[in-house]
Amino acid sequence: MKLFLSLVILLGGFVYTPPKVNNFRLKNLDNRTTSYKDVKGDTFTVIDFWATWCKPCIQSIPKLVEMSDEFEDEGVNFVGISVDGPRNLAKVKPFARSLGLTYPVLLDTNSEVMGKLGVRAVPSLLIINQDDEIVYFHEGYKPGEEVEIRDKILELLAE
Amino acid sequence: MKKGIFIALLIFLGLHQNTIAQIYGSNIFEFQYGNLPYQNNKELTTSYNQLNLFYDSDNLSFYGKVEQFITPIEERNYFDLTQKQVQYRDDHFSIRVGNFYETIGRGLLLRSYDIPGSVYEDAFERTRYAFFRDLEGISVEGYNDWIEVKAIRAKPLFNVNPPNFKPDSARRPDLVEALQINVFVNDLISVGGAYMRHNPSFTNDFQEYGSLLLDINPTTNLQFFGEYAFQSDATLLGFEDEDAFALYSGLNFYSGSFGASFEYKNYNNFRLGQGFNDPPSLIKEHTYPVLNRSTHVLETSNETGIQAEIYYTFDAGHTIVSNFTMANNNVFIEQKYREIFLEGYYVVDDYLSFKSFFDYAHDDPKLEEQRISVGFISDKSFNYEWGFVLDLQFQTLNRDFENTGTENYYGSLTFNYQSDLSAGLIFEATTDPQLTDDPRTFATFETDTRFWLGGNASYTFNSSHRMDVFVGKRRGGPACTSGICYEILDFEGVELRFSTRF
Repeated sequence: MKLFLSLVILLGGFVYTPPKVNNFRLKNLDNRTTSYKDVKGDTFTVIDFWATWCKPCIQSIPKLVEMSDEFEDEGVNFVGISVDGPRNLAKVKPFARSLGLTYPVLLDTNSEVMGKLGVRAVPSLLIINQDDEIVYFHEGYKPGEEVEIRDKILELLAE
Repeated sequence: MKKGIFIALLIFLGLHQNTIAQIYGSNIFEFQYGNLPYQNNKELTTSYNQLNLFYDSDNLSFYGKVEQFITPIEERNYFDLTQKQVQYRDDHFSIRVGNFYETIGRGLLLRSYDIPGSVYEDAFERTRYAFFRDLEGISVEGYNDWIEVKAIRAKPLFNVNPPNFKPDSARRPDLVEALQINVFVNDLISVGGAYMRHNPSFTNDFQEYGSLLLDINPTTNLQFFGEYAFQSDATLLGFEDEDAFALYSGLNFYSGSFGASFEYKNYNNFRLGQGFNDPPSLIKEHTYPVLNRSTHVLETSNETGIQAEIYYTFDAGHTIVSNFTMANNNVFIEQKYREIFLEGYYVVDDYLSFKSFFDYAHDDPKLEEQRISVGFISDKSFNYEWGFVLDLQFQTLNRDFENTGTENYYGSLTFNYQSDLSAGLIFEATTDPQLTDDPRTFATFETDTRFWLGGNASYTFNSSHRMDVFVGKRRGGPACTSGICYEILDFEGVELRFSTRF
């Protein structure tokens, strides 16, 4: 019975429906509480989960900053969510700024939002539409994958 | 039965979704065929499944985590609803009942965490389970633009004991009651305070603590954070040997492409309960395998220290990071930890980049001197279609009581095709006598170099499904993720993981 239940649960996942982002609240780099609604874009919201100790994140962030500038007028907002724990919190702000990160950064210290959105690794990038549906999910980063992400945003904007 | 009702309820709610309500979740299924090295049964088969289910409807949400572990050894098996939560949240109020995560300040008094996707197993219990430390109870929060008030009454999880550990009460031996207030004086300053008391299950006495928090942004590119926590009978700011206190402060600065942080710690008699607090360790968190497993574990009974780190990003995207760490503790004897770390990332062009690091450490707690680690990583892409990553790392160290030095080697070569498929080989070797010795041969002390060779592959089917396979031998040891350190066991065999998001 238990095995059967596990199998049902496992296979049940194949019926895909886009999950939604329920409004969440996190501290920003200035220790002010910010909600998802505050940073949500007019058309799409791109959320990048990252951490100071994550090497691929460091490679991807400058590319995301470029995209953030490029799509700003299209109503696409970029948001970084750092999953650094208290051990690394002091480093997040200077680290982000030294990488030229200009879009809002929120701090998911307990990895609670990360878990709720089904994120299991950093970096992970989510694109969310106006109805708060997660319409794209990208795990990891290797050079060149920013092209795929950019194409996806263009495709979504064209729809 | 309770689990069945819970799952049935979630399925029922899922069938009654509307535009503002939804059921969603994720699942991890992990299968292993093999065992730890030096075990007689090399053909042990185990299965672990973790299901996370959420239901959101307007301001109300439900959550449950169901875990199952199956082996041929009956006493290790379990099927359990390990987390459950009901939450109501609006623009100014939130209440959570059940299992939740909460951290006071920087974790000096209370710290809980989740490491999504991690599966933990220890050498004694040999049961696998999700690695998190949550609180079980109730949390109430009120907030507006200038004040936040939070009250908690909950039992922190003592996650050394697996879900099937009996008695259940041993998994949550402490009771914590806390009240935290943060006031945002203006855009630049916030002050806060917390009161907490905890009641270990083996006593009737409450131990009381307080903490003061300060966050200042005197200019846009300078930030200071300070937290001082103390037991109620300690002399305020007295810092006496017999007092229980923890002082943490951090200063960070950035200007253009330059960033810097400086942190200070002074902890004394501050391990609370079964360890539900976690003051910042001020130790660099490394992801490089040879450094990650060499990490210093904080001694909250007595430790002082500093950590300084600087970053610089060049216009072309090259970065340099430099870190200096110093920690002193004196529990029974005085011990020192020193570490200097340098890292460079160099971008040749869009298709080729290099990373390298150098690390020097003196580590009294591990009895290690002259620990030197170096690494070189090359990342090459061919028209973004396919590429490879070559990662080579080396570490050498000396211990006073050993005649020969220890050397650790790490090498991996990973090929990837687009963003969906990757496959690679990982090689590790050590001359560490603590690892080369075979524990089954008491009379002999083996010193031959020990090797690990494994292959892994992963394939992402789509946004929802991913499969990871490992075959071979995997080296264990201490590991740190998101600032949380734990022990990973060696493994020899085949492991398959299937991750689903829905």
